Amino acid sequence: MTRKLITGLLFVCASAGAQSSPAVAIVNAKIVRVSGPALARGTVVVRNGLIEAVGENVAVPADAWVVAGEGLTVYPGLIDPLSTVGIEGAPNAAATAGRGGRGAATPATPAAPAAAPAAAVERARGPEDRPSTTSWLLAADELQPTDRRIETVRSAGYTTTATFPTRGIFAGQGSLIDLSSGEKAGDMVVVTALGQYISLSRGGGFGGGFPSALMGMIAYVRQIYLDAAHYQLVKDAYAKDPRGMERPAYDRALEGVLASKRILFPANRLVEIDRMLRFAAELKQPVVIYGGRETYRPEAVEVLKKAGAPVLVSMRWPEAPRDPNPEDTDSLRVLEQRDKAPGAPALLEKAGVHFALYTDGLEQPRDIQRAVKKAIDAGLSREDAVRALTLSPAEIYGVADRMGSIDKGKIANLLVTKGEIFDDRTSIQMIFVDGRKYTPATDSTGGGRGMTTNPPGGIQ
Amino acid sequence: MKLAVILLACAAAAGAASGESILIHNADVYPVVGAPMKGVSVLIQDGKIADIGAKIVAGKGVRVVEAKGLRVYPGMLDSGTELGLSEISAVRVTVDTGELGEFMPQLKAIVAVNPDSEHFGVVRVNGITSVMTFPSSGGGGGGGGGRFGGGERQMISGEAALIHTDGWTWEDMEINRSAAMHLIFPAIAGRGGRGGGNPDFGPQLISTTAGGTYTQARRTYEEQIAKLTDFFDDARKYQKARAANLPGFVRDLKFEAMLPVLDRKVPVAVSASRPSAIHDAIAFAEKQNIRIVVLQPHELGSAAAELKARNIPVILGRVLALPETEDSPYDEAFTLPLEAYKAGVKFAFGTFDNEFVRNLPYQAATAVAFGLPYDEALKAITINPAEIWGAGDKIGSVEKGKLADLMVTDGDPLEIQTQVKHLYIRGKEVPLTNKQTRLYEKYSSRQ
Repeated sequence: MTRKLITGLLFVCASAGAQSSPAVAIVNAKIVRVSGPALARGTVVVRNGLIEAVGENVAVPADAWVVAGEGLTVYPGLIDPLSTVGIEGAPNAAATAGRGGRGAATPATPAAPAAAPAAAVERARGPEDRPSTTSWLLAADELQPTDRRIETVRSAGYTTTATFPTRGIFAGQGSLIDLSSGEKAGDMVVVTALGQYISLSRGGGFGGGFPSALMGMIAYVRQIYLDAAHYQLVKDAYAKDPRGMERPAYDRALEGVLASKRILFPANRLVEIDRMLRFAAELKQPVVIYGGRETYRPEAVEVLKKAGAPVLVSMRWPEAPRDPNPEDTDSLRVLEQRDKAPGAPALLEKAGVHFALYTDGLEQPRDIQRAVKKAIDAGLSREDAVRALTLSPAEIYGVADRMGSIDKGKIANLLVTKGEIFDDRTSIQMIFVDGRKYTPATDSTGGGRGMTTNPPGGIQ
Repeated sequence: MKLAVILLACAAAAGAASGESILIHNADVYPVVGAPMKGVSVLIQDGKIADIGAKIVAGKGVRVVEAKGLRVYPGMLDSGTELGLSEISAVRVTVDTGELGEFMPQLKAIVAVNPDSEHFGVVRVNGITSVMTFPSSGGGGGGGGGRFGGGERQMISGEAALIHTDGWTWEDMEINRSAAMHLIFPAIAGRGGRGGGNPDFGPQLISTTAGGTYTQARRTYEEQIAKLTDFFDDARKYQKARAANLPGFVRDLKFEAMLPVLDRKVPVAVSASRPSAIHDAIAFAEKQNIRIVVLQPHELGSAAAELKARNIPVILGRVLALPETEDSPYDEAFTLPLEAYKAGVKFAFGTFDNEFVRNLPYQAATAVAFGLPYDEALKAITINPAEIWGAGDKIGSVEKGKLADLMVTDGDPLEIQTQVKHLYIRGKEVPLTNKQTRLYEKYSSRQ
């Protein structure tokens, strides 16, 4: 017992508090568990990157570094279900070389593997050229721990992002990463393959070949899935008995598609949501819709509910342009969207549609806080808002067994605030990622706005 | 005999008019400027309307055209075209609309008019006997201007000409070679507008969307206005220097061309779509003491009263058009003429697209369907534009002494079924054939 205490103390001293310690106990804090009712006064014990215990009457381990939790609230760390954080230069073409002198420090991960194969295809003539396709990419392989956006979004309370490659029609698979300041990218990865990110916007930088119209893109996606099914069939047959059989050619585009256990489809407007749900059903693929701007429309909620498909709602609520021409008047449709979009989460919640909120390029803590506040002001309860940023994304990606709520045995991703989360005056006191404590950076400047998802639906 | 020869020579000297005398006998005449006259005859002599009356007897050598049941109207005038300057807008070598450069007032559209353009034949069949043809930015064969990329923003593209739609040469076709100076007034782009019409006529909009903010666009706009003002100021200085005739005075064609504008002899045709742009154009005109005609407004709104107060005419180009924005009323474009009429603004129609000049009467017809009094619609394609472009004493109505630009129809020219039976331009009967009719004949005769 004494030894344990000493080692504990040693660790605390050695790491001078800023780094992780074998055990941390936050005592007498309000604990919003999300998976169950909040505890008005409880204790959370964190050890080895996991939540060791949580409850009202939890004994504080003798070796624990104790955080006095009076006046503090503990939430599960926020999860961004669709992001590019961790892939540097993702927002724009990575091909235009690294920015600043940072390039040298980054590990040897090629900056733009996405662009390389596309460059080989001069101008796609048809689906056989696999245009705008890098389905084999895994975000986990592209990860750069030096991405400074990691710290920015962590300071906003995010401990986890579902990071996706986003270039092309089949952009590749996303990975779930914990936003720790790991030395090695691999340490950050929670789940390597979450599913295939599909966008239907014109493939910028791909040289304007096929496909360039929405109908071409949809036909292309359909063809790829047909090809993939056939590819699987032939491969299986060949594996069973190769004798007398022509060897099937290796096709990494199809391999990538076959390895994806779900697809992310873009859809903002009602017609797009309906179209994508039908399309996913036709492809027999589990689908996650992203965008969801018009989910304030009851019809949209209805089709989503009927399909049982989860939706990731962008928190980049439509806003009036800055510095507009004073003579311009916005159309009724635009005004309606602007007015009603933040109310969508409340409606989805009420209807029982599985949804989560994603930042869609918002990075600055203040922007994110404001965006969530808008949804709350439009009728979403604070509890549901927290859930849409924690447990719901975890459930959508099937990782609720390891994160998303404050439960024993889950990953110790925690957010400790003074005051209720998403209030104007609330300040984030500390963030735990994989049990390691971080203090939020003071509102970082620069960086601006990050990646936004491609306009779902492409051409309208 | 000798006398006859002399008379013939005189007739030939009186312009390039046809020497033929024609009596359109027993027609219903719609003079536009007065009440219709039933069962009267129109005598055409020396290219002019020599007489109108019930009891005119055809003299010797007068060809009689029996027109019982037919109607005589003045030929129509389209106030916005590039006829003769541009044949196929997408084919560079057939486009001769303008020259590069910001200020090009010394250019005269008339000298570039190609009398053999196929467009003339097509528009004549629908009764259009004269058009305003406008020079516009760049586009010309060699230079590669605005339309085909590469040209800089242009403000003054030259003098627009009022021409007949028939003639052997451009000299034949001329009615008023200096009908207007074409000014492409700077304008800031709006959001969500459908635009419409020929981009050559519209202002080259200062973008607010391409990365720029409105504040930036506004700054650019003010710079452009300042440039334009500078040019007019320089022209005034030139005018003074010229009057003083000091030694060392050098003639400059650019400023020389501006003199009639500064003297208010030639109006400036200004493209302006929004009320604010119209307002700015009016303010500019007031300051510079010039006459203006507003081209292609998309809406009049608050500017209507200003236009009326200063007697500034407008050329309505967007009648057969979709609404400007998705929330605009469906009949927004159709009712614009009515709005102008109610406000007391003088207006005429222009198609602003070479491919659709033949639809000029249907612009007027649509306006009638949406409330414009019929007579006003007819005036807006005949006498109004003739007056606006300084030829009210020559064309635009069926009156004694005017040029014999007439159409003889079997009905109301605003009705789409109506056929033009005879067409006279400067008293010469013009055959109603064109490329389409030739093709029709060709393929009809195929066995």
